[in-house]
Amino acid sequence: MATSAPREFVDNLRQLPHTVKDAWLRQGHLPESEREESQATFHNFFLHIHSVRVHLRTLSPWLTFGLGLMATASFLVLTITGVLLMVYYKPSTALAYESIKDIHFVVSTGRVMRNIHRWSAHLMVVAVFLHMARVFFTGSYKQPREFNWLIGLALFAVTLGLSFTGYLLPWDQLAYWAITIGSNIANSPRELTDALGITRWFDPGGFQKHLLLGANYVGEDALIRFYVLHVFVLPLVLVILVSVHFWRIRKDGGLARPEDPMGGPAEWGGAWRPVFEPLATKTYGLMALVKGKRATVNRGPENTVMSWPNLLWAEMAVFMVTVAVTLILSYYFDAPLKELANPAIPENPAKAPWYFLGLQELVSYSAFVGGMVIPLIVLAGLALIPFLDRQPGGEGAWFGTPDEKRVAALSCLFGLLIAVGMLAFTVNFGWLRNWFSSIHQLWIIVINPGSVLVLLYAGWSLVVLKRGNSVRLGAVALFTCFLIGFSVLTYFASVHRGPNWQFYWWPSQWPVH
Amino acid sequence: MSRLEPPRVSRRSFLSLASVGSFCAAMGVALAGALRLPRPTVMPGPVRRYKIGNPEDFPIGSATHLEKENVFIYRDGEGIYAISAVCTHLGCIVAQSAQGFACPCHGSKFDAKGNVVGGPAPRALPWLEVSRAADGQLLVLADNEVPAGTHFEV
Amino acid sequence: MKDPSRLYRWMLLAASLVTIGYLVAAAVRENYLADWQTLQRVYRRQLQAKATDDRGRVLLKNFRIELKQISVPALNAVDRCVSCHTGMDDPRMTDVPNPLRVHPGDILKNHPVDRFGCTVCHHGQGAATNFHDAKADTNDVFWDYPLLRGELTQSSCLSCHDVERLPREQVALLREGMELYREKSCGSCHKIGGRGGSLSLALDNEGAKTRHELVMTNLQPPHTTPRWHLAHFSDPGGVISNTLMRNPTVTKRQALALAVYMLSLWQRDVPASYLSPDKIEEKARALHPAPLSGEQVYRRYCFGCHGEGAYGSWNKSFKRFIPAVRGPGLLAMATAPYLETNIAKGRPGTQMPAWEAGGLQLAEITAVVDYLRAEAPPPMAQGALVARGDAQRGGVLFAQNCEGCHGMSGRGGMAPELANPTFQQSAADAFIITTIRHGRAATAMPAFQNPTAPALTDAELGDVLACIRSFGQHTAGAQLASGRVGGTP
Repeated sequence: MATSAPREFVDNLRQLPHTVKDAWLRQGHLPESEREESQATFHNFFLHIHSVRVHLRTLSPWLTFGLGLMATASFLVLTITGVLLMVYYKPSTALAYESIKDIHFVVSTGRVMRNIHRWSAHLMVVAVFLHMARVFFTGSYKQPREFNWLIGLALFAVTLGLSFTGYLLPWDQLAYWAITIGSNIANSPRELTDALGITRWFDPGGFQKHLLLGANYVGEDALIRFYVLHVFVLPLVLVILVSVHFWRIRKDGGLARPEDPMGGPAEWGGAWRPVFEPLATKTYGLMALVKGKRATVNRGPENTVMSWPNLLWAEMAVFMVTVAVTLILSYYFDAPLKELANPAIPENPAKAPWYFLGLQELVSYSAFVGGMVIPLIVLAGLALIPFLDRQPGGEGAWFGTPDEKRVAALSCLFGLLIAVGMLAFTVNFGWLRNWFSSIHQLWIIVINPGSVLVLLYAGWSLVVLKRGNSVRLGAVALFTCFLIGFSVLTYFASVHRGPNWQFYWWPSQWPVH
Repeated sequence: MSRLEPPRVSRRSFLSLASVGSFCAAMGVALAGALRLPRPTVMPGPVRRYKIGNPEDFPIGSATHLEKENVFIYRDGEGIYAISAVCTHLGCIVAQSAQGFACPCHGSKFDAKGNVVGGPAPRALPWLEVSRAADGQLLVLADNEVPAGTHFEV
Repeated sequence: MKDPSRLYRWMLLAASLVTIGYLVAAAVRENYLADWQTLQRVYRRQLQAKATDDRGRVLLKNFRIELKQISVPALNAVDRCVSCHTGMDDPRMTDVPNPLRVHPGDILKNHPVDRFGCTVCHHGQGAATNFHDAKADTNDVFWDYPLLRGELTQSSCLSCHDVERLPREQVALLREGMELYREKSCGSCHKIGGRGGSLSLALDNEGAKTRHELVMTNLQPPHTTPRWHLAHFSDPGGVISNTLMRNPTVTKRQALALAVYMLSLWQRDVPASYLSPDKIEEKARALHPAPLSGEQVYRRYCFGCHGEGAYGSWNKSFKRFIPAVRGPGLLAMATAPYLETNIAKGRPGTQMPAWEAGGLQLAEITAVVDYLRAEAPPPMAQGALVARGDAQRGGVLFAQNCEGCHGMSGRGGMAPELANPTFQQSAADAFIITTIRHGRAATAMPAFQNPTAPALTDAELGDVLACIRSFGQHTAGAQLASGRVGGTP
């Protein structure tokens, strides 16, 4: 049609809302059919990490408790509040403390932002830890998800690293002395190299400490290093690892779940229809078939529902619940801040952040064993689990194989008795150095409460492995003992250790200096 | 054909609308808060406010150069006004001249109201806000510029 | 089939509503309910009431409800006190309730708020924007220097002023504290400016101490430094369990004055432009101080242990007998050099410090010796000199007659330590012989050659003398090597 150009121009101007909307939203309206729902997921940049359909069982809150989502949601909240805090925080020893005070007292929404940042950091550590426990107890590390388990462990370490680097930034007494302890733990290989007399030639402890602090003391160099790690390096690493973690979830066939019963019904198109054969447990991309059994053609979707909107509801809900909980905590409880860091006045007791307190308790017996050896052993042990327990079966359900619950309960009891007993023993009777004051340090490195604990737990788990005739049961025993031990040690060091790391029944009994 | 076009789904319900709506509202409120954060609630740094004495110290027709504060104080029939003594070219201190002000550094010349009449200065000498302090003294707020001609009535 | 997302939608709704609720509550709390906002609204009503003239109207027009602060980089202070104390520098605000009231007195005339801020004198947490955190005088606020109010603020004057040149009414409590310090002879045990005894801590930077550097074990919370000092002066033993410090027996007000003085002793880094000219002169004078008179020295540095000096006393904490230094018995036979040496060198190993190291000038030592001997009785006749005899025989005699009070090997007890290096060095043989012969009046030292019943012959005296000298040879090295002072806290 021959419209005049001015007319065309005016018409296009008037059509602007529609044309812009159409250019941006290719669909333009909410999905009205399953096909459109699948397109909404598949064709969207942000959403296409999701599979188009998701298995019904994996949506159940009682399977996952949304812990992985909670960790991710916490990280998102942390990133946003973190960037906002960066507008005012100044990473120099002369300015840091005052900038935190300004954020608390003066900056618009500053108090709440800082509190949210602090509490969601704690929440993230808790969520990651519980998520690991969930994945373990539902056997979701088994083939083909071993690598994702390893990525998860790396994420756990990075999460702790983020929390630890952030702890120093306020530059107050809590921060300064906690990191002094942390850096001395990094220095703990000295305990071994000194005992062997080789420190002059081989000093990994000193190397680690200097790498962390950039100096021999906790000062300006440490602050800037921790800052760079906290706001850039570690978040970048975490984002990359999380992306791989999510990618692997897709490639490994979605969240682990029990196999659907053969021949049982599956929901499809609003009705239940019979299923004929063991179903493919893999979704496939149109680009490639990475690994798996076979594509399903002419089959009903296997007990799955559309991701849009079901999975998205779940994600939004978990995200908002995380935000709500964090916000409630932040409204009532201020993030702690003590006096300006003062190297001349040590905090007594000087305590590491709570998630490292269990470690600190072990460190109080032997720095090297508690600070380096046991954490490495634990990490190695955790990493090996999916490679040692290769018997399929029971994935996607809590305590999926027979006897698991019983073994877990017994291990709980055993772990509790041993941990509490060990602590009671050391509090009442001391340890080797109290009985033999000139004993060589090497003896203490080899025989100390931490190593004894690990040995007893390992022994128990081997007994269970043999008697239960199952690697999985042995793993359950060991993991449960680890959980219990970690919890008991953390609780004990938080509540019952006071000034000079002496035992007290309750913090109110701590002597006032 | 039916499998390619499964029946329409309508999951819209009040619950869905309400939950999405409240989610967006919550995010909106949070965003509003977050956007307010970068705006300073109180300006950092020392404020350049100078107490310069009482109005009686500046009789009508007087022209006083306050050297420490780098400002000229004038009083005429309409009131008191303050002109900055800092040359707008490169920051030297101007001196009073027959026509107004002259800068010794690069020869900028200003008239009695501070307008540029010669030299490299790019703009007029700023007029500074004059106010009262709580104890009654006159106050020059050197950080606040006011339009030329603004008088403070006393 | 069950809708798998129903639960999640409910969760989403509930969580979102809770979030909105708390966000709004936080916004209201921050933007409307803060301490300073309420107060500034009240203040604005006051401004309206007082907007009766040009000045009042201008002040009302320019008043905005906002956070206010005074930034003084030279003093490293950003003080937000004026956000609540809004009427601080408005002389019209005399009849309004605190905290809006004008600052009392005319301090602000010489200390304009814009140049000084508030915390340089009042301490407290200037960065805070609510009362609880600004006062910082409870255990749950982690700030080193709590707010000083009223007269306690006088302790800050010393940082910039020569307090003795200020009008007395302005620093009355501080001056009282300084004078009490001298009157109570605190310098007997404590040093300030390098002058004083060494039994206890130097006090030069006492005001800089935070609550973590003081023993708060026996104090009820809140644990603040002013309260510690008050408690310490009221009952030293109650605050520090095994203290050597005797109770200064002061009234509550005097304890407060002393506390203010202690808080004022702070070697602060004040920029030179803030120091009063008097202060600079005072610092210059301190380089070459004029010597004190003998009586002044005695009052400030000796009285604490020796009292009036006429009689000795047994000190429970020292576990030692403090000799009567102004007793007629001693002064009758002690020469000026003897006294000067003992004062200058002290008695190592005992609580008597070496005053030449304790900051006393030579002229002051001479002056105090003159003061001691001012009312001395005529010198005692010495009698025949006796040569040193056999130390071993003397040892037997010493054990029979002297050990009970002077201790084995002369190490002291109820009576002075004869083995002390300074005693050995300063006491001539004649001095020792005369003392043993005639005893010492008004003390427990008896005469061993009483004309009526001579207990010791001259030969025996010589033996005892030799024995006493032998103590000096044994202990001199050990004492000087260990350098211990008895009874240090």
